[in-house]
Amino acid sequence: MRKNKKLLTLLSMMLVLVLVAVGCGTSTETPDTGDATGEVKDTLIVGQGADVVSLDPHATNDQPSSRVSKQIYNTLVNQNEAMELEPGLAESWEKIDDLTWEFKLRQGVKFHNGEDFTANDVKFTLLRALESAKIGHIVGAINPEGIEVVDNHTIKIATNEPFAPLLAHLAHTAAGMLNEKAVTEGGENYAQNPVGTGPFKFQEWKTGESVTLTRNDDYFADKAKVKTVVFRNITENTARVIELETGGIDIAYDIPPTEVSRVEEDQNLVLLRDESLSTAYIGFNAGKEPYNDVRVRQAINYAIDTDSIVEAVYQGVGKAAKGPLGTNVFGAHTDLEQYGYNLEKAKELMKEAGYENGFKATIMTNENQQRMDIAEIVQNQLRDINIETEVQVVEWGTYLDETAAGKHDMFILGWTTVTGDADYGLYALFHSSQFGDAGNRTFWSNDKVDELLDAARVEADPAKRAEYYSEAQEIIREEAPWVFTYNGENLAGTRKNVKGFKQHPAGHHKLVSVYFE
Amino acid sequence: MSKIKTSNNQEEVKAVSKKKRSPWVEVWRRLRQNKSAMFGLAIIGLLVFCAIFADLIAPYGIDDQDLRARFITPSRDYLFGTDNFGRDILSRIIYGSRVSLQVGFIAVGISALTGGALGAIAGFYGGRLDNVIMRFVDILLAIPGILLAISIVSALGPGLQNVMIAVGIGSIPSYARIVRASVLSLRDQEFVEAAKAVGANDFRIISKHIIPNSMAPIIVQATLGVAGAILSAAGLSFIGLGIQPPTPEWGSMLSSGRQYLRDYWHIATFPGLAIMITIFALNLLGDGLRDALDPRLKS
Amino acid sequence: MHKYILRRLLMLVPVMLGVTLIVFTMMHFTPGDPAKIMLGESAPEAEVIKLREELGLDDPFLVQFGRYVFNAVQGDIGRSYTTNRPVAIEIMERFPSTLKLAALGVLVSVSLGIPTGIISATRQYSLFDNIAMVAALLGVSMPNFWQGLMLILFFSVQLKWFPSSGFSTPSQMVLPALTLGTSSAAIITRMTRSSMLEVIRQDYIRTARAKGQAESIVINKHALNNALIPIITVIGLQFGYLLGGAVLTESIFSIPGVGRLMVESIKARNFPVVQGGVLFIAITFSFVNLLVDILYAFVDPRIKSQYK
Repeated sequence: MRKNKKLLTLLSMMLVLVLVAVGCGTSTETPDTGDATGEVKDTLIVGQGADVVSLDPHATNDQPSSRVSKQIYNTLVNQNEAMELEPGLAESWEKIDDLTWEFKLRQGVKFHNGEDFTANDVKFTLLRALESAKIGHIVGAINPEGIEVVDNHTIKIATNEPFAPLLAHLAHTAAGMLNEKAVTEGGENYAQNPVGTGPFKFQEWKTGESVTLTRNDDYFADKAKVKTVVFRNITENTARVIELETGGIDIAYDIPPTEVSRVEEDQNLVLLRDESLSTAYIGFNAGKEPYNDVRVRQAINYAIDTDSIVEAVYQGVGKAAKGPLGTNVFGAHTDLEQYGYNLEKAKELMKEAGYENGFKATIMTNENQQRMDIAEIVQNQLRDINIETEVQVVEWGTYLDETAAGKHDMFILGWTTVTGDADYGLYALFHSSQFGDAGNRTFWSNDKVDELLDAARVEADPAKRAEYYSEAQEIIREEAPWVFTYNGENLAGTRKNVKGFKQHPAGHHKLVSVYFE
Repeated sequence: MSKIKTSNNQEEVKAVSKKKRSPWVEVWRRLRQNKSAMFGLAIIGLLVFCAIFADLIAPYGIDDQDLRARFITPSRDYLFGTDNFGRDILSRIIYGSRVSLQVGFIAVGISALTGGALGAIAGFYGGRLDNVIMRFVDILLAIPGILLAISIVSALGPGLQNVMIAVGIGSIPSYARIVRASVLSLRDQEFVEAAKAVGANDFRIISKHIIPNSMAPIIVQATLGVAGAILSAAGLSFIGLGIQPPTPEWGSMLSSGRQYLRDYWHIATFPGLAIMITIFALNLLGDGLRDALDPRLKS
Repeated sequence: MHKYILRRLLMLVPVMLGVTLIVFTMMHFTPGDPAKIMLGESAPEAEVIKLREELGLDDPFLVQFGRYVFNAVQGDIGRSYTTNRPVAIEIMERFPSTLKLAALGVLVSVSLGIPTGIISATRQYSLFDNIAMVAALLGVSMPNFWQGLMLILFFSVQLKWFPSSGFSTPSQMVLPALTLGTSSAAIITRMTRSSMLEVIRQDYIRTARAKGQAESIVINKHALNNALIPIITVIGLQFGYLLGGAVLTESIFSIPGVGRLMVESIKARNFPVVQGGVLFIAITFSFVNLLVDILYAFVDPRIKSQYK
């Protein structure tokens, strides 16, 4: 008995330690999600690639959070999967003068805490949103003095200046309607106890791991088909796909391009591919020699084989861009001519511009795998027109600082036209008033483009706006302040028994109509 | 009486310095008999050879992209296959040996010199100075090495040089402790006192008498330290905080191969093997050195 | 003994203050404006300025540091820049996963390492010993992030035995625990073997054998007990190492632990979380070391008398 006392004590102490440690974590065990065969599935498990940051829509503007918030909150105006505006919490709206819109709100809508949804909530929400450092710019056009509650279900919203794309901005997930009482009561913990009017109610959030929502049985429109939705956070792309294949999750967002064919070929899975609102571009510093010469900019556009970038960096997912906007954005010019790879023309233009022997350049990018990959390819291809490039990978904050200050030659960046309206996708990037931090990091400007962008912002008639934007895009394409690189795609995979799932171009997909077969 | 003692000690000092050469020959003789250590040494030799003559050995260039030859599995043209840019993985591993060996040796250089100096000063002077230095070492020791390296790299920014510094700082404490311990054991020995008595200054005593006599544990630690540094640097690259592409660092090659793991296993596998073999060789050599130096340590 | 523990605990105070200063300084001089990073590329400058004010980022360094220490002493180590939640809560929510992972890593390494080490020592230079030693050296040499990938490739992708991500069910814990535990197992194997060999050579073992005691008793009773001390040291050291090593393992297996939180926070320049995390791990690490020292005394009464 005694022979091994000390060793035994030691080992048992260690065992106790381990058990205590493991015991600490038992609270994080996931409930049985009903994966067993035979049962009717009513829990939908969605895998996405990053943690939810906050479920207070005014506290963050990141995709993983928006994807969850979208299920909890409703907006006044909805933007459907075809990017068309539809009534949401507002039944109808009317423009009453250049600045002011009047919204009739839906009656009998209740928040998850039982409160009625009224015009006061709208006013409270918009004023609170305007104060937000994170998403204030989404509703920034609204004049805080100009929000007027007419009666419980009527509200007037005025903008500072005539602003045609207001409805698209109000359809953004960041403009989801909050309940004043819930926000006040929630205080600092509101983001962990969100209350909306949406088809799903918040249930539980395990930090870093998952967010669980349950069906809102008092939902004002068609109720959700599944009882529970779990958003699981699976950061490794490959792991997310493996989980989908093995049935650990029902829907996987952001299938990595490398896994596309695998999901496609798997008989138990369905792959969804839809054009997104995001674009990637290589910008020139047009305020600096030699990039102030349009011929140099065009030459580089010809010298870079964007198709091969789509192939090599994005594994063929998405398309080489023809212009500054993705084709599903309102106002996008869909018939622009792609520059295309043409080394002869590139060399000719370089010669004309007097740079036959090339020059040295830097390409700046941040620690983003795809951007770094693009940089490596561009570096390689520009050697053919004698441009020796150095790739500078800098940290995100530094990157934004340096490009805003105009310290760069070329830079690689992306843009997502989150409102689906050309104003969002062009104004900040190409208007001369937006140099630097505001968004125009190429320091390129053109009087005609300024004029067109201003006019389209004010014009109420959609057809005319589209015309202005088309003309602006033609000029931008010709002047080439960017190498128009890439238009993205949203990729999602589902198990075969998942029905009713559609992707939204902005990436925050609705789950209310999803069901199992 | 005291005179006699002094002269005796001086003789001893001479004796010690005379003997200095022979122990190392003895160590080498013992090391040579250790087959696994020699095997390790051979691999390291091969790596150094690769690093120096990479331009001649590598079948392709360091960053030769061929977008039509992407994801080729190992074949006659590409022994280790190609990556997502159609670059030859073998060539990049060969060039990568430069990076890894640099990181390994320079990082260890940084930590051994700084740590060694700190430890020697602390041990030799003792008292308050010792206290201050060792508290600083305690602070560094309280932060797990990889976390410390991550924080330093994020402050300095990524890149080869900063990775070497970060990894180097992370292992300062172990050298400081080793050197301090051996200085403490030597400080009161007769030949040091003798040197003091004949008026040698502190720097001379530390550099001529103390350091050479505490070399053995430092050498062992440094050999294993090179392995540790290469691993840490690869780990940093793996989480995207280390050496940046297109530099062919093994850890970052492995990391970028991670997303293709299921279809193209070779992209992540070979850089991983390269790391493993290098560390293995260094460990074999380190073990061998420890054994070879051991009798000396005991005496 | 109590005095000794108390003294060690008191010594932690200056060390932790030093850790805080070092990490705080490093974060302070890290390039990148947190406000800009939080707001992203489409935020107007005015909002960046507003946020900088809110976060107190424009105050002088010493003011910021003083404020941090003052609050930290009262238990408030700030709020996360991204989620605006208290850092302490964010860390505590994730710590169980990390602790569990490290503990399982130790469990794997001890249950693999000690038996292998003992068998190797008792059959020195046998085939088992040779294979075990080469395997152990390979185990030390293998980068654990690479090993993790290979395990996923083999056990999740090919054999579909274990899931490749998550950390809430036992089957999800197998691969991460193996990944984290392997190199420690290798180190413990080597340590156990050499420490056993040393003891076996000593006189009293020979005496015990000469007295005709059964070999198993000799090994278990006499040899192992005396070989334990260095083994415990190594296990203690390994636990600290595993806390650090969890950073990589957590990233590979999507485990919601402190390590991954730190890596993500560093990339997002979320300084309060990084500071809090380093401090937290440093404290845990120091406590484990203290615990190891106390265990020594427990195992070897001779040492106990030294603690005064």
